[in-house]
Amino acid sequence: MSSLEELSHRHDDQAKLAESDTVARGAPILELRGLQKKYGLVEALKPATVTFLAGEIHAIVGENGAGKSTLIKLLTGVIRRTAGEVFWCGKPVQLATPNEAISRGINAVHQEVVLCAHLSVAANMFLGDEMNRYGLMRKGAMEKAAQAVLDDLGFQLPAAAPLGSLTIGQQQLVATAKAAMRGIRFLIFDEPTAYLTRQESAQLFRLIRRLRDQGVTIVYISHRMEEVFELADRVSVLRDGTHVGTRLIGETNEAELIALMINRTIEQIYHKEKVAIGKPIVETKGLSGPGFEDVSLTVRSGEIVGLYGLIGAGRSEFALGLYGRQPVKSGEILWEGRKVEISNEREAMALGIALAPESRRDQGLCLNLSIGLNINLPIFRRLSSGLVIRKGDEAENAERQIRDLRIKTPSRSVLASAMSGGNQQKIVIGKWLSHGAKLFIFDEPTVGVDVGTKAEIYRLFGELLKRGAGIILISSYLPEVYELSDRLHVFRGGRLVASHDHRAATHEDVLTQAIGI
Amino acid sequence: MSVDTTTESAPAPKRGRNILLGLTLFGLLAALWLALGLSTNAFWTPGNISNLLRQGAMTAILAVGQTFVIITAGIDLSVGAIVGFTSVIVAWLLQAGVPLWAAIILTLLMGVAIGAFHGFGIVRMGLPPFIITLATLTSLRGIGLLITNGSTISINHEGFTNFSRMDFLGVPSLFWMVILVAIPAFVFLHLSRFGRYLFAVGSNSEAARLSGVNVNRTIYLAYILSATCAAFVGLLLASRIGIGNATQAEGWELQAIASSVIGGTSLFGAVGSVHGPLLGAFILATINNGANLLNVNSFWQRIITGLLIIVIVYFDQLRRRGSR
Repeated sequence: MSSLEELSHRHDDQAKLAESDTVARGAPILELRGLQKKYGLVEALKPATVTFLAGEIHAIVGENGAGKSTLIKLLTGVIRRTAGEVFWCGKPVQLATPNEAISRGINAVHQEVVLCAHLSVAANMFLGDEMNRYGLMRKGAMEKAAQAVLDDLGFQLPAAAPLGSLTIGQQQLVATAKAAMRGIRFLIFDEPTAYLTRQESAQLFRLIRRLRDQGVTIVYISHRMEEVFELADRVSVLRDGTHVGTRLIGETNEAELIALMINRTIEQIYHKEKVAIGKPIVETKGLSGPGFEDVSLTVRSGEIVGLYGLIGAGRSEFALGLYGRQPVKSGEILWEGRKVEISNEREAMALGIALAPESRRDQGLCLNLSIGLNINLPIFRRLSSGLVIRKGDEAENAERQIRDLRIKTPSRSVLASAMSGGNQQKIVIGKWLSHGAKLFIFDEPTVGVDVGTKAEIYRLFGELLKRGAGIILISSYLPEVYELSDRLHVFRGGRLVASHDHRAATHEDVLTQAIGI
Repeated sequence: MSVDTTTESAPAPKRGRNILLGLTLFGLLAALWLALGLSTNAFWTPGNISNLLRQGAMTAILAVGQTFVIITAGIDLSVGAIVGFTSVIVAWLLQAGVPLWAAIILTLLMGVAIGAFHGFGIVRMGLPPFIITLATLTSLRGIGLLITNGSTISINHEGFTNFSRMDFLGVPSLFWMVILVAIPAFVFLHLSRFGRYLFAVGSNSEAARLSGVNVNRTIYLAYILSATCAAFVGLLLASRIGIGNATQAEGWELQAIASSVIGGTSLFGAVGSVHGPLLGAFILATINNGANLLNVNSFWQRIITGLLIIVIVYFDQLRRRGSR
């Protein structure tokens, strides 16, 4: 018996629970029947029926926002389902709390490591489940046991070292070892290789195969097609919250999976105004900064320039660099043909740049302040005579934006936090409409926004273009950037790797360039 | 509480809540005054009321300055130490023969400098507000004691020391000073764009920054205002006790924070007003005054003050939660 198996049977209660509902290898261990999740009116996951077999590696692929994270959260009890049934070893279960999921042996390893950086590797592995004697922790024993597990798994990691001294990739391996120690039966990996080196990935894959061979069911979520084909036994595809199919890995190929991942029906919502394209507003030449390198692109008046890529590809960082929020290391910015330096946000605004940032909650809004204050925040100087704000103008501007953008609120003094995602996005947009700009940067403007509001936002783009503005549209949702962009740039690893004119490339090409296979 | 809920589901919950909270506190203050008036004959005497207004005045001014800082989601622990320190500074300057007007201006500028140093520590050095103001709290007391060599400096300027005992229109001059601070503070916080920026920085400094708010300048401003209010109180205290003493005003920072919090300021930032901390300060002053009149043991006064802070802020929390 290896030290891993020894430890995983440390607790009798868990062992008993595990014995009480065993299933044969290859039989269904977890069945989802019509599983559905709604947030208000938004269907994050449409009724999905998926079966996971004991001892298989089941990959799940889909674009950003396809519903993968919703599915993980449902399976790990972080959120509760709106409708549908879940069967664990043939018996209906609730999966209402994280504890219930863990007690059944369902565990997840997240993309971001959620461990304590200041504690030792061993302390992290035993966190919440420490070995005790007479009420005192057995530090030495835990370190020894942890080291045995790490050695056993073939990770060359020191159990006594503080976790924070390891690389992100090594921390990921520790998190995996921790999950593997807990007597698990069902382990979900959410993009585990995002921060791993090739070597670390190989170690992780060995561990995953080994767990599978011990009868653990693995759910493997990844953007990377090559990993899916290397590792998985079966693969399920999600698109726009819909489960569109499950395939045996031997009976499918990359082209079919990519075709399944992309919504082929071109919806009416991507309405694009025909606007004459004018002179360049902004040009970047070899712009480099934190998270992006050597980016050269041009935005003309009347033009939507789309930036597509996976999350972390450097698009938002580029936008923040252009906006003066992050320092630019090298390269040039030409504003209407003239070389400029933009060293802070206020200089960018003075030139005529507006940024609707990626995260409404963290960057876009003062959530516990009123809608009116949020809308007027960039223009209070304009609304003041001397020191004092002209209350009438303040009210009028806020009311006008609320009316024009059809923000659904009884009053401008309602707190921004009380609004839905779509209305919050409208507040962010309203802020910049009242300020005015020549270049609008919209970073993920339609995340968490319902379809009706999406269409309104796209129509608004048309209005801005007609007034001679240029737009940079950053989106991880391919159909959106693909249909709306006059010119589409693909980012990967902080670099601009490809550029296409409107609908000049296929979805498959663009996705392939973004993923880098 | 049923009245509260209906007011808050009305279209303008925020403003409604502010006014309501102000009224509740005002009601509490009035109730305290009424109860004390009924239970002791000594309360409603001109002498005692003047005394009460004087007692509350200095905390009230500190609380207003403190509120600016707390709205930005910061804290200023140094205000009590600044009061003691600046009382030494003004006494020292007057002793050295500096004209009164120059001594006052220099003392206030000392407040500006201390506040700017706090801003520097927070913005440029990246120190948490708690730490940088804790550091100046202890250092300023030390510097004050060095200057006085551990003793006190007495002030012989009669006009200066008489000021705190003067009345105008039957109201103590110290209370007039509260009004002198409160009106510009109200204009600043509720009517000017800088006030809006304080709220925006306290709510989400990144969103404020990306909306073109000069976040660093706003933080400097908040701490400078707080320290300058404290320096002003240092002047008033020096006038009242007639000496410069670095160990005076021990624990006043906590009184100021308590007044501000009782007045509805949220320690998480972005919630607060000018009238709230003023009422909070006078509620605290009334409790102390009343306890003295009723011969309550001064140890008990401290306990009661603590319990009252818990009760008032708890009810405020309940109301906020109810409105979500």
